[in-house]
Amino acid sequence: MNTRDLLFTPTRRHFLRGCSVGLAGMWLGERAGAAVAAKDPARPLRVAAPHFPARAKRVIYLHMAGSPSQLELFDYKPELSRLDGRDCPASFLAGKQFAFIQGVPKMLGGQYPFRQYGQSGQWLSDRLPHLATVADELCIVKSMYTDQFNHGPAQLVMHTGTATPGAASFGAWSTYGLGSENDNLPGFIVLTSGGKNPDAGKSVWGSGYLPGVYQGVQCRSSGEPVLFLKDPPGIDRGMRRRSLDALAELNARTAEETGDPETLTRMAQYEMAFRMQVAATDAFDLSKEPKEVHELYGTQPGRESFANNCLLARRLAERGVRFIQLFDWGWDSHGAGKEEALNHGFKNKCQSVDQACAALLTDLRRLGLLEDTLVIWGGEFGRTPMRENRNGQEMAFVGRDHNPSAFTIWMAGGGVRAGTSYGATDELGYEALVDKVSPHDFHATVLALMGFDHLRLTYPLAGVPLRLSNVTKPGSKVVRGLMA
Amino acid sequence: MERVESMSRATLIFLIPAVTAGAAVEFNRDIRPVLTTHCTACHGGVKAAGGVSFVYREKALAAGKSGKRTIVPGRPEESEMMRRVTTDDEDELMPKPEHGPRLGAAEVALLRQWIAEGAPWSEHWSVVRPVDPEVPVVKRGDWVREPMDAFVLARQEAAGMGPAGAAGDAEWLRRVSLDLTGLPPSLEEWAAFSGDRGSEVERRGRVVDRLLASPSYGERWASLWLDLARYADTYGFEKDPYREIWPWRDWVIRAFNADMPFSEFTVRQLAGDLLENATADDLLATAFHRNTQNNSEGGTDDEEWRTTAVHDRVNTTWTVWQATTFGCVQCHSHPYDPYPHTDYYQFKAFFDSTEDCDQNDDWPRFAWVGDAAVAERAARAYGEMGRLRERIGESGRAAVLAAEPWRGIGVTAAVASGGVLTVRDGGEVVASGTMPVGVAYTVSLSGVEGMTAIRMRVRPESDEPKDWPERGCMVTDFKVSVVGADGKKAPMGIREVVADQLTGPFDPLALARGGERAGFGGYPVLEGPRWCVFVLAGPVPAGATVEVVMKHGAPVNSGFQGTPTRRFSFEGTTAVVPEGGRGELLAALEKERGEYRKAGGTSVPVLSERVDAPRDTRLYLRGNRLTKGERTEPGIPGVFGGEAKVGRQTRLDMAKWLVSEANPLTARVMANRLWAALFGRGIVETEEDFGSSGSLPVDQALLDHLAVRLVKVHGWSLKRMLREMVLSSTYGQTSRVRAEVVAGDPRNVFWSRGPRQRLTAEMVRDQALALSGLLSAKQYGPPVYPPQPDGVWSTVYSGDAWRTSEGEDRYRRAVYTYVKRTSGYPGFLSFDAPSRDLCTARRMPTNTPLQALVTLNDPAYVEMAVALAKRAAKEGGTARERVARALRLITLEEARAETVETLGKLYDAAVVEYGADAGQAKLLGGDAETAALTLVMNTLLNTDFALNR
Repeated sequence: MNTRDLLFTPTRRHFLRGCSVGLAGMWLGERAGAAVAAKDPARPLRVAAPHFPARAKRVIYLHMAGSPSQLELFDYKPELSRLDGRDCPASFLAGKQFAFIQGVPKMLGGQYPFRQYGQSGQWLSDRLPHLATVADELCIVKSMYTDQFNHGPAQLVMHTGTATPGAASFGAWSTYGLGSENDNLPGFIVLTSGGKNPDAGKSVWGSGYLPGVYQGVQCRSSGEPVLFLKDPPGIDRGMRRRSLDALAELNARTAEETGDPETLTRMAQYEMAFRMQVAATDAFDLSKEPKEVHELYGTQPGRESFANNCLLARRLAERGVRFIQLFDWGWDSHGAGKEEALNHGFKNKCQSVDQACAALLTDLRRLGLLEDTLVIWGGEFGRTPMRENRNGQEMAFVGRDHNPSAFTIWMAGGGVRAGTSYGATDELGYEALVDKVSPHDFHATVLALMGFDHLRLTYPLAGVPLRLSNVTKPGSKVVRGLMA
Repeated sequence: MERVESMSRATLIFLIPAVTAGAAVEFNRDIRPVLTTHCTACHGGVKAAGGVSFVYREKALAAGKSGKRTIVPGRPEESEMMRRVTTDDEDELMPKPEHGPRLGAAEVALLRQWIAEGAPWSEHWSVVRPVDPEVPVVKRGDWVREPMDAFVLARQEAAGMGPAGAAGDAEWLRRVSLDLTGLPPSLEEWAAFSGDRGSEVERRGRVVDRLLASPSYGERWASLWLDLARYADTYGFEKDPYREIWPWRDWVIRAFNADMPFSEFTVRQLAGDLLENATADDLLATAFHRNTQNNSEGGTDDEEWRTTAVHDRVNTTWTVWQATTFGCVQCHSHPYDPYPHTDYYQFKAFFDSTEDCDQNDDWPRFAWVGDAAVAERAARAYGEMGRLRERIGESGRAAVLAAEPWRGIGVTAAVASGGVLTVRDGGEVVASGTMPVGVAYTVSLSGVEGMTAIRMRVRPESDEPKDWPERGCMVTDFKVSVVGADGKKAPMGIREVVADQLTGPFDPLALARGGERAGFGGYPVLEGPRWCVFVLAGPVPAGATVEVVMKHGAPVNSGFQGTPTRRFSFEGTTAVVPEGGRGELLAALEKERGEYRKAGGTSVPVLSERVDAPRDTRLYLRGNRLTKGERTEPGIPGVFGGEAKVGRQTRLDMAKWLVSEANPLTARVMANRLWAALFGRGIVETEEDFGSSGSLPVDQALLDHLAVRLVKVHGWSLKRMLREMVLSSTYGQTSRVRAEVVAGDPRNVFWSRGPRQRLTAEMVRDQALALSGLLSAKQYGPPVYPPQPDGVWSTVYSGDAWRTSEGEDRYRRAVYTYVKRTSGYPGFLSFDAPSRDLCTARRMPTNTPLQALVTLNDPAYVEMAVALAKRAAKEGGTARERVARALRLITLEEARAETVETLGKLYDAAVVEYGADAGQAKLLGGDAETAALTLVMNTLLNTDFALNR
């Protein structure tokens, strides 16, 4: 079928809203070989098949905003400990840009002892005792690197593939490509903890250039989980039902009078909203979990915490939510104050996530969900092997600056190679050296696990078939070594 | 040109496949789509595989790497292209099987015929200037009210279709009121219209004139412009702090209300600061391009984000005025359109020399005052300050030349308060080690006897201009002491400072006396070698040496990186540096500065051109700012031709070009945008892309007709253009048609029925406020905070809080709501309002359950339902009379019985339930009757007919 015929194919009025931007979209879609199947505008989140069978049907992405130190958790560097306190060699500094480090800083050895765990012998520090118990589930990627050294842009790269706001987020791509398995819940849900939203703001879960329907829905772990979910005071369920029945009658007449298919869609959406009010409330009700589950996660219903969010993530995964994005704020361990010191606040942050992360994997495994649920943990960049010397001076607390050249993430479940450690950094953990993985490679790989060829999951805009793995980074590749 | 014109006439029905037998092939219609679809991805502006490209004719006719000519005009059989698209050899076939399907027989035939006819080429339709097309002759001439109707009807007739009937008064009035003012008509306005006994044309004309004259008109159309301008009340990144730029938003509203011609609207926003005797409004207008994001995160590279902002200005300008995907050209030549890589950087050079540089305080800013007389005094003083600085700079540079010869001064010692200074042979000092913020250098100079002035030269660490700019260096304090032969130290006054350029946030002239923002160097980056002369109070006595103490108290990148001078040397002269009247000029500058400050006002970020030192704009290889190529001068892309101008072209030249007759796109793009706002879809559907990758116009003749009229007949008046559009028969059709009609033309590409659009995010709120009687008519001013759920704002490192507005500010029109980029107003985001991070040329309407939750449950909407219920109950009557009254507020006409009955039954049921549960009723506004009516109003505000226009 040529593009002109396509444009004339009778479709719903807003057909192109759901699948492309006009003629351009058509031919670009064609040219790309096989774009995602055209969307039914009435059901833009209808389940769609990926390019090939998926290993991961859903994703739980635990983002540690601020970026935890790989050198205190995963990347064991005895050589760095030997150099502790010495001046940083000039070769480390040439051509580098830092956020805060000035001149010639001192090297800083890892602050916590490391040991090997599990049958796989994964190296972990003593800050992660619970995670150590599931070490054999983890696929630890030690050779991540990025090209951004500030939080906002680096977070955007990890979540949208582009350093400036305006591109579509990972979760948005997932629901765009796969739809949602639950009609009564959003397909892409975002939960935050640590008291703040991530630095890059809501752009990291926005739909960017994709239709708004694919944007992440931020839910809250206390109060109303979804904004405006609750019926207003004075309107109970029964009353709302009557009101929606009346509304349906009126809208049905409008549909008849105008012949506008959008009216029929609107009627369906109001019904879905009504069901969502129940389904979402139920999904977010942690009190329904038994005591032993609360003990496993360390959850306390009613307050906002990372542990609560992990348990909610499992409940949402069970209900078929496609992409569950958690942000935990407070990992920016510069050492400029007690809260962000490696020897103080960082320890508390580790404690607040360690048990819940391990519990999430254990729980998913127990329920048989880990097979096809991909769990991802990590920050937006790494931290320097040098001690931060803000304003050129030694600081009262111990901390590290941002390091885009090396960081660690881990993945589990959903088709990744469990019990492995992938890639390596140099002797000091400063730069990824072996089997380097860029954020775009990471995107390509996760999309592959979800059944997509990252080059073919595209959205045409202004003449460019945009994609998560960033069309301006042509070298991005699927990392087979991460896949089981 | 001729070709395009004939095509417009010939293709009254667009998209009829290809050529009919005997007709000539038309390149743009028949060939370009084939090339763009199948070829240019590999053989285009980015990739020219095998040395073959189909973007420019000369390249397409040339030989590829194989040595064979791709296209030989007149000889298809000798053209390599034909052989490669027809061969059965899989290794040779084009497109390669893995890249796409082989060409269809029809496409191959088209190519063959085209080459046989000599392979004539024409530029893409959108870069060829529009010519006024002949108005087509139609069968139903009586239907034509405006010439545009003839174009629409001709296309319908050729397709065997016809227009829908005319919309009734109520349908039309509601549509046109919402379209032109963003507000529904009041019952009084309805009464006036339906009671008007004039002719149809007169009655409707009177309504349109009233709407266009309403102050609400500007508020509605500003919203469209604010999306394009990516207007927000915050910076955009991380802390996402408040940006005080609302006076510019008000400028836009005023400009629409005053019907400022679009040409003037363009020039003032892009280059108002460069107009002669720029007024306060001209300066304020330039805030358009200060709506770029500013990254104030600690430790960010100011130059990186300055560059990002400049690129955004280039890309936004091209999207807004040219609907061209110029952003592609940042990294490589355009893949499909005729813009080579260098075009981007030539155009960027227009924008690259404004003073702003991602400073946390959004410098530079202009203080805007509401009082016109005061504002003009401030603008005059502001302009005068710039001119005085220019004269001071020129005079100073001449004086330094007059004081030749300058000779090198030896450095005997150089010590830093942190880090290491090394003196090289020849007296050059270089810095290394850790230089803390605020580092001070003490430098001893010898061989300075009799010197009257010292010149400090600063060099970048690299001597290769492509490596510049480098990290910033900024001397904020410079003190000279004379050390006598006896070793005694005495301070030496500095009579005057003369610098090579007076750009940047710091003022070298102020170093003579010290003070806020005094400093010399490169800030936030060092762009190249610099110099600065310190004229001493008197000559250095015989036998004495000099000690210089210089401090670096201006860190960059949000205050976290120091700015030490890294490579510098000194020269001196014994000649006199002539004063040249600069003292007087400085005094005059001080006086103007006082005048300007006295005016006070709201300090708005604006564009301000660096007068004496344009930045060195270089090509970025593959778009990477760290790998630079050749230097570029400001220029318009070559495809547009244009006359050469003597001397450097300016941003003002560029702005004027955009709205000149030479520009083929601006008028089309704007006419298309107005059409799309009224009809729900542009004549070119991709409002943001008129290039090869965008949609073709479904009716180019109609588009060109409108574009030419906008300029030639209406003199760029948007009100006059809109007036004509909304009074057309095309716009006046009913949208109430049978489902079969919709199925026959589902996307209404023939405009064979009236437009039916969902209300915009702003309209959803504004209409509900208007219906409920709560809407405030207050205009302009700082952004307001209507009710929003707690906890929506929780931004890192920010103390900003949503302080819900009290009084009438709670009920202002949506356009005045605070726009926070990282956390938009939830009710608007659900209804497709963009985040305003970047330019948005088109909102894509969605239809989601989250929208339902907003208008059903958002406490703001419940409050409106309560107010609407009160309004409906005011005149008493039965419940059904009250319901009917509320219905009329929306539909204007007498409500249909069955509609009233549906809602009446809901009321009956509700009143029983609320009667049995007084507690519930109380929660919803009062007694059982009130509560039940409120529920009905809440339902009514959610009907499809309320949410559409």
